Amino acid sequence: MSRKGVNIKIKELNSDIAQLRDISLTIGAINNDTWDEPMGPTPFPSLTTLRNWDLTLLNRYKPFYLPFCDLCCLCTYGKCDLSGTKRGACGISMPAQQSRTVLITACIGASTHCGHARHLLDHLIEKYGGDFLINVGDTGVEVEAPVIRLVCGIKPVTLSDLEPVLDYCENQITQLLAVTHTGQEGYQLDFESKVLHAGMIDQLGMEVADIAQISALGFPKADPESSLADLGLGTVDTGKPVILVIGHNVPPSTEIIDYLQKKSLTSDVEVTGICCTALDITRYSSKAKIIGPISWQLRYIRSGIPDVVVIDEQCVRADTLQESAHIRAPLIATSEKNCLGLPDRTDDPVDEIVHDFITGKQTGALILDPVKVGEVAVRTSIGIAPLRKKHKTLPKDTDAIIALAKKCTQCVLCRRACPNDLPLPAAIKAAAQGNLSGLDEIYDDCLGCGRCEPPCAQKIPIHSLIVAAAGKKTRDETYCIRTGRGAIQDVEIRKVGGPIVLGEIPGIVAFVGCANYPKGSREVAEMCMEFAKRRYIVCTSGCSAMSAGMYRNEDGKTAYEQYSGHFEAGGIVNVGSCVSNAHIAGAAIKIASIFAKRPLRGNYEEIADYVYNRVGAVGVAWGAMSQKAAAIAAGFWRLGIPVVVGPHGTKYRRMLLGRSDKEEDWYVYDARTGKKVYGGPVPEHLFFAAETKEEAMVMIAKLTMRPNDTSKGRANKLANYIDLHKRLVGGIPPDVHLFVRTLSDVPLTMKDEIVTHLHDHSWKENPIPDPTLLKRMIHKEKEG
Amino acid sequence: MFENIPVEVGLVHEGERVRKNDMQVELGGPSESEKFEIVRVLPMDQVTDGKIEIIGPDLSEMEPGAHYPIGILVEVAGTRIETDLEGVVERRVHEYANYIEGFMHLNQRYDIWIRLSKKSFKKGLTSFTLIGRVMHELFRNELPIIERVQITFITDWEKIHPLYAEAMATYEARDARARGLSDDDVDEFYGCALCQSFAPTHVCVITPQRYANCGAISWFDGRAAAGIDPKGPIFAIDKGECLDRENGEYTGINESAKKRSMGEVDRVYLYSAFGYPHTSCGCFEGIAFYIPEVDGFGIVHRGFRQVTVNGLAFSTMADSTAGGRQVEGFHGISIEYMRSSKFMHADGGYNRVVWMPSEIKERLKEYIPAEVYDAIATEKDAESVADLKTFLETHHHPVVKRWIKEEEPAEETTGAPVVFSAGDIPVTMGGFRVILKNAKITAEKVIILPVKPPVQKGR
Repeated sequence: MSRKGVNIKIKELNSDIAQLRDISLTIGAINNDTWDEPMGPTPFPSLTTLRNWDLTLLNRYKPFYLPFCDLCCLCTYGKCDLSGTKRGACGISMPAQQSRTVLITACIGASTHCGHARHLLDHLIEKYGGDFLINVGDTGVEVEAPVIRLVCGIKPVTLSDLEPVLDYCENQITQLLAVTHTGQEGYQLDFESKVLHAGMIDQLGMEVADIAQISALGFPKADPESSLADLGLGTVDTGKPVILVIGHNVPPSTEIIDYLQKKSLTSDVEVTGICCTALDITRYSSKAKIIGPISWQLRYIRSGIPDVVVIDEQCVRADTLQESAHIRAPLIATSEKNCLGLPDRTDDPVDEIVHDFITGKQTGALILDPVKVGEVAVRTSIGIAPLRKKHKTLPKDTDAIIALAKKCTQCVLCRRACPNDLPLPAAIKAAAQGNLSGLDEIYDDCLGCGRCEPPCAQKIPIHSLIVAAAGKKTRDETYCIRTGRGAIQDVEIRKVGGPIVLGEIPGIVAFVGCANYPKGSREVAEMCMEFAKRRYIVCTSGCSAMSAGMYRNEDGKTAYEQYSGHFEAGGIVNVGSCVSNAHIAGAAIKIASIFAKRPLRGNYEEIADYVYNRVGAVGVAWGAMSQKAAAIAAGFWRLGIPVVVGPHGTKYRRMLLGRSDKEEDWYVYDARTGKKVYGGPVPEHLFFAAETKEEAMVMIAKLTMRPNDTSKGRANKLANYIDLHKRLVGGIPPDVHLFVRTLSDVPLTMKDEIVTHLHDHSWKENPIPDPTLLKRMIHKEKEG
Repeated sequence: MFENIPVEVGLVHEGERVRKNDMQVELGGPSESEKFEIVRVLPMDQVTDGKIEIIGPDLSEMEPGAHYPIGILVEVAGTRIETDLEGVVERRVHEYANYIEGFMHLNQRYDIWIRLSKKSFKKGLTSFTLIGRVMHELFRNELPIIERVQITFITDWEKIHPLYAEAMATYEARDARARGLSDDDVDEFYGCALCQSFAPTHVCVITPQRYANCGAISWFDGRAAAGIDPKGPIFAIDKGECLDRENGEYTGINESAKKRSMGEVDRVYLYSAFGYPHTSCGCFEGIAFYIPEVDGFGIVHRGFRQVTVNGLAFSTMADSTAGGRQVEGFHGISIEYMRSSKFMHADGGYNRVVWMPSEIKERLKEYIPAEVYDAIATEKDAESVADLKTFLETHHHPVVKRWIKEEEPAEETTGAPVVFSAGDIPVTMGGFRVILKNAKITAEKVIILPVKPPVQKGR
């Protein structure tokens, strides 16, 4: 445990053994060290401490730039055209400028998670005390904070112990952001190295936030059988007053639940949520309901169902105040980071605020005290529900939809504005003629961004048309989700070691992040189930965890009902909200300590090298949208875990692609012999955008391969890769010979065709190494 | 490979389930009292490679939705195949059958339960000949030591009955042989380096009386795997000379361990948790942990979530023994090893076991000597070492006798760890008077380390 510095000033002290006068004692930090693991080489790494490791990765996976914009507009020299080989007024090149933008993005993401963590931790320490013990999984979890141990070299015991971690994060983010100022860093790979640093800091922030809330708020503690929660618009009891919470920072929402409980109103008021606050509120109370990912914000508010809207921070639509005003639902902003121009009524009496809301005197207020939010939200919802009678802004019936559709002039501006290029004009045309099926179909693929509406010269509420046309569908949205379980138990990791080396589990796939999907939620659910069926371990978090549950199979079961929540072959493991992503990284880190007893403490590079070369995990952010998603991905890259994104992911400005055609790129040290040997192009890429679900699935299967795979393990991975390729692309993958090291790697049922393929590609046998990229990890033979 | 099979054959179909409504026909399963699958090794001249015979109605002749008895007899021959490997080969039937799309195979031996889906039947999977062909192809490809295979499917109840009895007798004989086989009876042990992909210095030694730590690989499995692919991750270890019968130390094992662990481990005791205990990776099923206060061992298995009698949980102790290291007194083991008569033989076996979770104690009941069974405490009897001491004394556990024998004055007395907080910094200790004036003491960091008592060694 660590404590921040102390200052002691003593004017005069007389005792039997000493007389002290005007003594001033300053101690920078008190480090009461009860942890006997020796400190590793890199506790609290600075911007350049891990630069060599970053460059090792980045030289294998060179950035492949996809400039979103050819210009730099950051200083008053600009705009500077950087296309071709041009340089800007400050001398910056296009690659450096792209990587610089990525760094800014990653800093925004990391600061958001760390800011969230700080806010949450301050609140929890105030409420529960700094000495409140961290507990993420009782006896099932030995390593409570793998990322913190690995990066900072400290072992947190109480909530207060998390403070120095955030101090460090805040310091590093400041340094990182400074790097992006004009005239600082000039070389793209140095920007990229700092992107990875930002990602690692982001992972720390996430871990702090989640272990603090799991411990203090009593969330499920690494529980594979955490309860199922209702999911979907159709699960809401609209006969009751309904509160909607949106965002990521859960305390105001838990106070709502507490107030309801205190007043025995739990079964009288519905608490519903969107985004990660929704996920976290179901970890707090199984009575709470999740409406859906971010895409549901507009459609749910416009449905008129919520009576009060409570927002905290992150991924909250900036027009929520206007939208909620339209349905006459008061809005309560609760975060310093998201005040929306509202009057601060934190110190006003509850009665007055509630009165102003119910009488319509005020449409929104900023209340920074979570306890007060709890009471105001509940009392307002009860008071206002009978008055507003679920007033909605959606067209009220088919005739209303048709009437609005008839105003359309087919100017096509809506389609041009749509990020997914959905065929809106044709659907509206059909609707004008009474056929709503086109709009109804669009609902499934719609991101709910509402960008179609502003360009419409006829002022048609196009998004509302879509939602109203799909009315039956929305009422049928009655799914369920396994509530976020938090960490993975050590014992679960031990249990899968055998099946992984025996080739029974092909890999670990984590579906994480936002909902900016190319084709709606369904694809995430389909991918999750396909990989679970193939006996991969599937993890979910954030909006993707919700999407995974929004689909039923032919037996009417959702993914969470069909597959177990255990970290095992064919399990679908929801870890929780965005900040719970730290547990997925944590599981990978723990593998190194559990199986190889590698010391974690302040030992980032060695562990990343271990994870990169041995742990067959892939992250998939199919709808990655935010800056946070960029930071989360960067955290995984630095640990050597590849990430696949959907087509919108190309807007992150560059991919990190390996070149399987360059044999020289893929040599590793064999730690046994010290020789450099060809390890094969595994994993082939570190950051890859797939255009379609099919392309993604084949790539995911391919990216689970690692140079240490046992032959049985590799055979299983190859069997899945080849089978998916055959089904989704057609034929044997043209590069399959690159992944066969010895003939025992060939999947049994495909032997003939693969051996023919190997023969055609003049394949040569290669040894299976004990792989590492770090020369210092070469095994030194013991004397004697 | 499977061009003439009307359905897909591949790993991806392995976990497939065929539900009752989608089922064309059911073979074996809970509705049938007699069913079996068995592999027999025969002399070369008694096996016709590729022959597939069906006795009784074929799939196409069965009534849709009904259930039938089933016997699957796989007869194999080869110059290097031996009767001891029948069981290992037999388990492949389950695996291969499940590769076939729409052909669900559960359990093994006399307990098999098979369903064929309507969809695969419609696609043309209408005869056992096709199933047999798939199995034949896979046997020949995966297990080159099998030179000839013939397969018979029996669905006629009359014909199954006598074969069933014969199969049951064979299983029994096989089990008796496996139980009776001792480390002295064989010349070769097997090493498994599969876990080295995650734990580079760990190697399991697998003997008839010491299962692999993961519980997944027996000596027979090892023998088969090493025979099939001598260069593979499971390899033969020539026993060499027995150096220490009690502890189970062999020159062959020591040499192999040294080579495979790259010098990290050069001596291994097979049957002791002290001295040179067998290493563990991370996936062991249980831990035997030494409790110095009572000079006995506690045992805890992976599934036990509470803290054990020494105040530590499985996960905490597992952390102390994993990673291919030799840690005296913390010993990663498999459940199967606990059934072995060589289980911690050198340390006293079950006579030295003082505590185990009730669940595992019950599971191992028939392997724990009756005279000590009641003297082993569980979580219900003792939650602390003090409780445990009392329990062992009142139940006359054999370790109690060791206490008297070994009681000797404590070697060193270590005082309570000196820990001080910022509130009471001892500027000096007795006998002096220190006067500090206008002193400014600045420290960048103060590190306070508890003084730890030295860790007590095992024996």
